[in-house]
Amino acid sequence: MSLPSKAFQRWLHGIAPNTSTADVCRFSGVKRTTLAQQLVRGKVAESSLVSISRAFDMNPFDALAQFEAYAALRGTPVPPTDAELVSQVSTMDLLRAVVEREEPREGVAPLVLAETPHASSVRNWVDAIDDGELRHRVSDATGIAPQNFSAHLTANRLPPELALATSRAGGVGPAGGLVASGLVTEAEAGWRPGARRDALDRMTEGELALLAGERLQALGKALRRHEHELDHTNRIWENLG
Amino acid sequence: MTTVLAWATLSICLILTAIRIPSAVRGENRMMFVLFALISLDILLSIEEPYLLIDGWLGNFNLGNLLLRFMLYGTFLLMGIKVARAFGSASGERAIRGPVGLAVLGATGVLTAFFFFSMDTRDSTVGLNDLDQGPALDLYAALGRFYPGYVAVCLIPGIWRSVRGSGPVLLRAASATLLLGLALLTVSQVFPLIPLSNTWLRPLINYSAALATALGLGGIWLSKTVARRTSRTVI
Repeated sequence: MSLPSKAFQRWLHGIAPNTSTADVCRFSGVKRTTLAQQLVRGKVAESSLVSISRAFDMNPFDALAQFEAYAALRGTPVPPTDAELVSQVSTMDLLRAVVEREEPREGVAPLVLAETPHASSVRNWVDAIDDGELRHRVSDATGIAPQNFSAHLTANRLPPELALATSRAGGVGPAGGLVASGLVTEAEAGWRPGARRDALDRMTEGELALLAGERLQALGKALRRHEHELDHTNRIWENLG
Repeated sequence: MTTVLAWATLSICLILTAIRIPSAVRGENRMMFVLFALISLDILLSIEEPYLLIDGWLGNFNLGNLLLRFMLYGTFLLMGIKVARAFGSASGERAIRGPVGLAVLGATGVLTAFFFFSMDTRDSTVGLNDLDQGPALDLYAALGRFYPGYVAVCLIPGIWRSVRGSGPVLLRAASATLLLGLALLTVSQVFPLIPLSNTWLRPLINYSAALATALGLGGIWLSKTVARRTSRTVI
């Protein structure tokens, strides 16, 4: 789940031939000790590469594509499906979109979608490309245990390599998972500005209301789980603290 | 080695008791103070020097040991109720303070006293080590291990759920320590199966159990203090 040191250093030399590692770290905000450790271990995190390419005004998506493991990102970009685009709209924005559609009001500023990613973006993205067998195929292709895959979704994170494998298994463009996990922004991934908004507008009222309902249900469940855990903790402290 | 462990356990329990004094004075959760004080007393009575002294006051016929047994039963009843309630284990609480639990406690207490008075217990000896071996002594010792083990088994499932849950890390670590202590108490049920050449294992397990239990309970309190303090800094 990382980039080889040698290839990374070659790449770094290519974009910033005369900059010391210390300066690279200062410009990009990557902690020096962190990067040094990653280099020594021979595994540079994709997030370091992304921060550094942003600092040097380079598209992180293109930078990633230069590495062998991310060869899938090269070539003509595959546009995201509507389901993928809508999955990257936050639950609150989705609810606002329902209100805007059902009860349009004069003088209310139109809805501006929040930036990607949102609080449940990874699970929503996977659900958007899942035909029911996706998890099996990801697990077969990468060897990840289904419960570990689920744990990633619950924690709303997705390691980049797993994100690629998941989009491959889902038969969609390679960028979606990287956007959903927040590694790159939608613009960096080449998604057209306003594409998410347009996809929302293409949904019928019914589809929109149903999707918002599903999202709200999932949010409610997550909040209840959290509250339950909090109650449990407080109960222990009340009795034994 | 065992002596060091025993005194170390005693000092830690005394420190934990002392830490609870201010909150007990303020009237917060006095039961925890009582519980730590009881654990300290239990440990005190299981160490040779204090035992010989106290048993001397009680008439030199090992009444101190019977007292220790009953105090242990009390400690575990109190701890069982508190911990089961804290970890939201309704079935655990029922099994300890419900009719079954009280019947188990009553029977254990009566039988403990019965076997004690059926033996010739003259001359103080800590842990009744120097008394004549016999079935009465074996049963007396087994009963003393049985009730704590019973309570431990009632508590383990509820605590295990919390250790596996997603609460604060420190709380889960403390709960795991408490769980370890209770698991060791359960293990102590098989003491008669330990070969005589390895009897040193028994006090080692006993004191480790007491130490882990006390540290676990103390750790839960610490995790609360830490959480309150961090939330205050954030605000």
